[in-house]
Amino acid sequence: MWSIRRYPVLWLLPALVPVVAFIAYPVAYAFWTSLHQVMLLFPGEPFVGFDNYSRVLSSSYFKTAFLNSALFMLFAAPLVVILGVAVALFLQRRFAGSTLVRSVVLLPWVLPGAISAVLWIWVFHPSFGIINGLLQWIGAISAPIQWLNTPALAFVCVLVAHVWTQIPFAVVLTMAALAAINSETLEAATIDCRSAWKRFWYVIFPEIKAMVVVLLVYNALVAFTTYDLVYAMTGGGPGTATTLLAFQIWRESFAMYDFGAGSALAFVMVAVAAALIVAITRLLPSDLFEERP
Amino acid sequence: MSLRKLAAVAAVAGAALGAQSAAAQNITLEFVVWNYALETIQDNVRKFEEANPGIKVNVTDYTWPDYQDSLVLRFRGGTQTDVLYGGQDWLPAWASAGWVAPLADIAPEGVIDTLSKDMAGFALSDVTYDGKIYGLPYYADTISFIYNAKLLEEHGIEVPQTWEDVMAASEKLKAAGIDRPIVYEYNQELPNFFDAFVAQVYGRGGELFDEELNAVFDQPDNAAYQHLEWLREAFEKELVQPENHESNIITTMNTGKHAFTVVYNYVLAAMNNEAEQPLAGQFALARMPGEAHSTLGFAKFYAVTATTAADPERAEAAWKFIDFMAGQPYTVAKRWAVENGLGFGQLPLLQDAEVKEAWGKWVDMDVLAGQIESAKAGTWTEWTAVWSAYFRPLLASAMVGEIPVEQAMRDGAERWNMLREQFANR
Repeated sequence: MWSIRRYPVLWLLPALVPVVAFIAYPVAYAFWTSLHQVMLLFPGEPFVGFDNYSRVLSSSYFKTAFLNSALFMLFAAPLVVILGVAVALFLQRRFAGSTLVRSVVLLPWVLPGAISAVLWIWVFHPSFGIINGLLQWIGAISAPIQWLNTPALAFVCVLVAHVWTQIPFAVVLTMAALAAINSETLEAATIDCRSAWKRFWYVIFPEIKAMVVVLLVYNALVAFTTYDLVYAMTGGGPGTATTLLAFQIWRESFAMYDFGAGSALAFVMVAVAAALIVAITRLLPSDLFEERP
Repeated sequence: MSLRKLAAVAAVAGAALGAQSAAAQNITLEFVVWNYALETIQDNVRKFEEANPGIKVNVTDYTWPDYQDSLVLRFRGGTQTDVLYGGQDWLPAWASAGWVAPLADIAPEGVIDTLSKDMAGFALSDVTYDGKIYGLPYYADTISFIYNAKLLEEHGIEVPQTWEDVMAASEKLKAAGIDRPIVYEYNQELPNFFDAFVAQVYGRGGELFDEELNAVFDQPDNAAYQHLEWLREAFEKELVQPENHESNIITTMNTGKHAFTVVYNYVLAAMNNEAEQPLAGQFALARMPGEAHSTLGFAKFYAVTATTAADPERAEAAWKFIDFMAGQPYTVAKRWAVENGLGFGQLPLLQDAEVKEAWGKWVDMDVLAGQIESAKAGTWTEWTAVWSAYFRPLLASAMVGEIPVEQAMRDGAERWNMLREQFANR
């Protein structure tokens, strides 16, 4: 009677309904919003075509946010991966307290972004922060550095905080990749190759390079779409120094109450992220994910 | 027991239950606030509830930076909201959108007119939209120029009268080892970041808009343009210590390493709080520097939603609550003034002996009275709040030299004109 062969679509409904309800419908509604003037304080939602898109793309805020996001991604992704791999290689060794160290390394990952932001605000505080305190104690500086109030430095601070929160995930995945390496291969490499760097580059890295690429792509996207750290740490400031695209979407929608512009900007960001994924995928060697003989 | 007796007992029991149900029909008002001194708010609410059995008040609070966004979403989402804190910069938009109602809709006839006669000029202006009064003041204040009197005395510096004096004094202090003499609440996400800028412009005798609501601040000879250049210069010379919240300003000023700041008067009360601050008593208020010595006066107020005003039962309860919190004899406003140093919009309180005694501990009342007298209300339109969210990052960028002052003012003016046109064409 209700066989899967006669009514296959019905059997897909339990999966389809949530997808439509929580993904397809909101995306479609957001696209509709992007084509209308939806400002919370003004009545009516007239159709404006692509006016929101043209206004957003031509605004100075967009150009700044886009450049900031691109720069943020270019620095954050490689840093997270390099530091994550380095920490993973270190944690692979057995030493006294290694279990405790592994737990501590994972701590930034479990903290919500807002908590991490508050933590780093105090680290970088000009008067009460530990960094200025240490630098003044060793005599490196005579006056406090305005870390979060100087545009260039504020960008670096947010970058540091972001990398700190993302390293644990890179460590975990890299350690999983390292664990999959044949132990006999590693033993042979230890015997045949005295240089640790050569062991890593010629023996270990080829085994984990697929994971490294995945981490690079993932962290590039995460960095490009970062919002919570910026919101809680600098509010996009000083000025627009740390305004990233995701934060600008929030500002357009919830500070300027222009949901039309915010939605338009969101779709622009999706388009850019999609282009990024396609470009990276095309650049990858075709045999990257093949099994090694 | 016979059936007849049983029926009689049941009837009596049913009547008693019904009477009890009628008496138990309380109204619970939803009161929405930002989270300043929540314990005091809750205590005031308790007192109201004791005096008004049958009316309960449920307090919901949001942080100050998120308050406006949260209220707009409550209004649009239809979340039950009866009485709320309102702000002078939000009233035109909220009233225009039909979210809040004139108090005359819920108050007995003539009462609002009577109460309005006790209000300070800028407070009355701020609670009025389209000729109707939408709120009674919860808190009214001016933004003031504060200085460390002891520090100035030690370095032989007179109290600055102009912004040029402030710059000269700051440079002299920096040369004497006071690294960043000016502490500035530098947080573009706070609505008062714009208010503080306006206050300083008013000190110079300037205006950002003309009588037709055209933006004029993008003209190089405009006082606002010149003051933004002044701020940029102060930041460039490293005379400014930015702090992202007034609570940090209290602590920072109490290190004795800074001389000037621009904040609300209640922050001065906190700075001079002998019980909590090490340098209490050193800080004083001066008239806002500039040719006019004027400043921004503003009022935050209790308002009622249009939905509540349309419900007779809830409207009556809401009026009782608002009258308790802000009506005569202004008991709650006096409590805020005496305990927290919060300013008030009700002029009779200026003559109150308890207020004078409490305020005399942290401010020179004569100087304050002079500042209040010269204070002006801001230009608040239906699009000001939205525009301010766009303009504040531009101000912040220009201050730290990220963009030229000319660009900040030009972009700000363009956006103002665009929003004005959008509103006019709606």
